[in-house]
Amino acid sequence: MSDRSQTTGSLDEEGGGQEPDALRRKLLKLAGAAVALTLAPGVTVLARDLVVKGSGGHKTPVRYGLLIDANACKSGCESCVRACQDYNGLSHDPGPDNAQWIRKVTIVNPKTGFSRSFPVMCQHCENAACVDVCPTGASFRRPDGIVLVDKHRCIGCRYCLMACPYKARSFVARNVSDQKPWAPRGKGTAEGCTMCVERVEAGKPPACVAACNRAGHKAMVFGNLHDPKSAIALRLSEVATTTIRADLGLGPSVHYRGI
Amino acid sequence: MRIRAGLWAVLAVAVALSGVWAAHRGRVALPVVARAPGHCVLNTAQMRRTHMMLLRTVREDIVRRDARDTRFRLTHCVACHVQRTASGRFIPVNAPGQFCASCHAYVGVRLDCFDCHAAVPHHAGAGQAAGSALVAAFRMPRALRASKGAGPGGGP
Repeated sequence: MSDRSQTTGSLDEEGGGQEPDALRRKLLKLAGAAVALTLAPGVTVLARDLVVKGSGGHKTPVRYGLLIDANACKSGCESCVRACQDYNGLSHDPGPDNAQWIRKVTIVNPKTGFSRSFPVMCQHCENAACVDVCPTGASFRRPDGIVLVDKHRCIGCRYCLMACPYKARSFVARNVSDQKPWAPRGKGTAEGCTMCVERVEAGKPPACVAACNRAGHKAMVFGNLHDPKSAIALRLSEVATTTIRADLGLGPSVHYRGI
Repeated sequence: MRIRAGLWAVLAVAVALSGVWAAHRGRVALPVVARAPGHCVLNTAQMRRTHMMLLRTVREDIVRRDARDTRFRLTHCVACHVQRTASGRFIPVNAPGQFCASCHAYVGVRLDCFDCHAAVPHHAGAGQAAGSALVAAFRMPRALRASKGAGPGGGP
C-alpha cells in the first residue's frame, strides 16, 4: 500500500512558479525573433526559437496519471485494449510479435481464490528504467510525466524492453502500413503506451479510459496527479491505492485499487 | 611510357562517357508538383530549401516538448498535398509521381518519413476537397506573404 510517488514527487516540479526563468525565456524568445537572417531569396537561417512555440514548459506542475479500480474492472472485458488498438492503429491479432501497449492481466491468490482482472500498460514512471538504460536518449519523460519513445532517435536496441519491469514496451519487427497520423510507428523502433498524448493535449482522456467509461465500468480515472482538485487526486485521497511493484521505487503514475 | 598512354586512354573513355551522360541527362523526369489548395505555411522558395530543416526542428518540439501549436507539421503537409484517384481515394504522398516522391526521386534523396508516418490524411475532407478550416488555419500569414524573404518569426 505504499505510494512512492507521493514521497518522491518533488523531482518533476521544475518549471513551476520560477519567475526569473520565465523572464529569461521571454528574452530568449525576443532574441530568437531577431535572428532570422535572410542570406538570399529562399535561403534563410532560422533561429531555433522561432519555430518553438508553446515550448515554455508548464506554468503549473502537471503530472498525468491513471487510477485503475480493479474492483470495478470486469473480468473478460477488453474494451480498453480494443480501444487502444483501434485508436493507435495496432493489430487486434495476438500474434507473437504484435504490439501490446495495454493488456489485461488476471491475478489469483491460490490459497484464497481471490482473483482480480485489470489492465496493465506503461506505468509512466517517475524514475523510469527505460529512460535510464536508453543509450540514445530516445526513451524520455516529458515534463508532464508521460514517458515516450522518440522514434527519430530510437535505434531499436530493445534495451528498454529488457529493463521495464512491467513489460510495457514492444518492438516493431516488421514493416508497418496504415498508421494513424497521430500514432507514427515503424520497423526497428521500440514503442509503448503514449497515454494517448495527442488526445490528452486536446483535453480528452486516453482512449482506454474513454472506452471503459463507455462500457459502463468506470474503472479508470485519468487526470493531473498534481492538481489537488482533479478527480484523480480526490479519489486517491479517499481510497487506499497502491502501485505495481512499488518496492522498485520507480514511482509509477498508474495507481491501482483493489489488488 | 606505357602507363602514361594507359592514363590517356582512360581519360579519353571518361570524356566520351560524360558526353553520353550529358546527352541523356533529360532521362530523369522533372518533378510534377500538383498545386495544393490555399497557401502554404511559407513561400515556395523557402519551403523548397528549408522544409527538411523545419520538419527536423519541429519534430523535436512536438515529440519532446509537447509544442504542437506549430504551423509546421507533417500531418498538415500531407493533408494539403495529398491527391485523390478518380474514385476519390487518397494516393499516398510518397507513391511514385506524388508530391513528395516526385521531387525526391528527381534529386535522388531517399524519403523515410513515411516508413513510420501516415502518408494519407485521416480526414475524408482533406486534400483538394478541403476549402477548409485546415487550410485557412495553417496558411501563410498575410504579413509573411508580403515580405518574401522573411523567416517564420512573424507567425501568429
